[in-house]
Amino acid sequence: MAQKNTLVISSADQLLEARTRRDFLKVLGVGGVMVLLPTALAACGDNNAVTGPRPGSGNALTIDFANGDFAVLQFAYALEQLEADFYTKVVAQFGSSGLSAAEQATLADIKNHEIIHREFLKAALGSTYGFTITTTYPAVNFSSRSSVLGTAANFEDLGVAAYNGAAQYLSSTDYLTLAGKIVSVEARHASAIHDLIAPKTSAFAPKTFDDAFSPTKVAGMAQGYIVDKLAFANAPSTFVQGPNNNG
Amino acid sequence: MDQKTLYDTIDPEILTRVNARQEEISKGASINSKLAAALALGSIPVALAALTKDVFAQAPSDVLDVLQFALLLEQLEAEFYDRGVAASGLIDAGDMAIFAQIKAHEDAHVTAIQALITGKGATPNAKPTFDFTAHGAVAGFNFSAGQYETFKALAQAFEDTGVRAYKGQAPRLINDKAVLTAALTIHAVEARHASEIRRLRGLKGWITGASRDDLPAFTQGIYDGEDNVMQGGVDVSSLSLTASNGGVDAATEAFDEPLTKAQVTAIVMPFIATS
Repeated sequence: MAQKNTLVISSADQLLEARTRRDFLKVLGVGGVMVLLPTALAACGDNNAVTGPRPGSGNALTIDFANGDFAVLQFAYALEQLEADFYTKVVAQFGSSGLSAAEQATLADIKNHEIIHREFLKAALGSTYGFTITTTYPAVNFSSRSSVLGTAANFEDLGVAAYNGAAQYLSSTDYLTLAGKIVSVEARHASAIHDLIAPKTSAFAPKTFDDAFSPTKVAGMAQGYIVDKLAFANAPSTFVQGPNNNG
Repeated sequence: MDQKTLYDTIDPEILTRVNARQEEISKGASINSKLAAALALGSIPVALAALTKDVFAQAPSDVLDVLQFALLLEQLEAEFYDRGVAASGLIDAGDMAIFAQIKAHEDAHVTAIQALITGKGATPNAKPTFDFTAHGAVAGFNFSAGQYETFKALAQAFEDTGVRAYKGQAPRLINDKAVLTAALTIHAVEARHASEIRRLRGLKGWITGASRDDLPAFTQGIYDGEDNVMQGGVDVSSLSLTASNGGVDAATEAFDEPLTKAQVTAIVMPFIATS
């Protein structure tokens, strides 16, 4: 049996996983030992390693809700930058990803859509409200099909929940419609990616109602991939929950 | 309100809301940004104009109308999948998990929207009698074994319509945040369904241009306008990075387009029996 008081780390990635950290604290609490297998350090320096700055370690990126609808668009812009950057990296590493030709075609389409979403928001926000985020992917292995697809599914599901939850803060019907135009495409993406992971199951649409997450909840989840420290100023004090009541 | 004066269009229900809104404002409650800007300018007429536009969008009858309209679409979908899943030999066994899930969702959407309507003190409309041959346009379709391709084509038509229908109604819900959020969470699920069925049929999960792909001509209204590239005053087909990232096709795929209630009604009417 595995020794309860020994935590084995075989990959540096594991050090960044919440579960590992929890176990680590547990192990320390009972005076156990942590074993760093050679592979944990051997991985450093290649594409799979933990590289770049830690999430949230950079400068503050503050979205001020006093800017009204522009704050919602800025929030969307941060997420679209993350998605576009992620898929750009995915496409760049198709050669070693183990993704089939059909899967690559689907992901290349999604990359195009996310870049266009990003560039659209960039144009809409202009230099007054624009900014550029720095991304980081401590737990993503771009040479692993399952890591790429799993991360993509998380991003798309999060994107859907983010737009669904932020829509209530828009006061312009034009922007509300625009958010609607984008969110359903994110949902189409989510469905397609879940279908690649678990074809012919109910995974493409696991819930009767999609989630609607508050900006605070979304920021907490997206922060794991963003170096800038996400923050809100004048954040709305109320959030109207969706049917799943989990935002 | 296009042809009438503003005064003519204000019904007592709205005036009640205006008064309620004025009370909120006098109490210093949150106000929308346009109104705040108008008040900051010290312009009462401008502030009133902003307020009037705002309350029009949140007229209770508007929200109810949207809900009854959504109910009709969900009833159409629910009956379609109920009958499809129940039909012997229609759906490929390997695809049953997909359609069982969609059926369960549409059934639950009907129940949820009925509850929202009831919660507003109104009575949900009864389900009409549907005609899934679309008055003969889908000749002979009756959920029989061997009609699976037709069933999937109709499913795609209904789901792509549903996505555009909810999107078109969202602005009318802008001041009822609970109903807006509920509608959006259904809207996204319909988009997931649409993507899955399209992919099951060998298509992309997203809509390119205004193409109905292999669907029959009578469904073209479901796709008209999907080739729009003007988004919020920005031509997304001519952004500097569009050309190297899928071009115009990707620019149209990246945005789903709304349909008006009248456009959706024209699409759905053939599926309602004339009795």
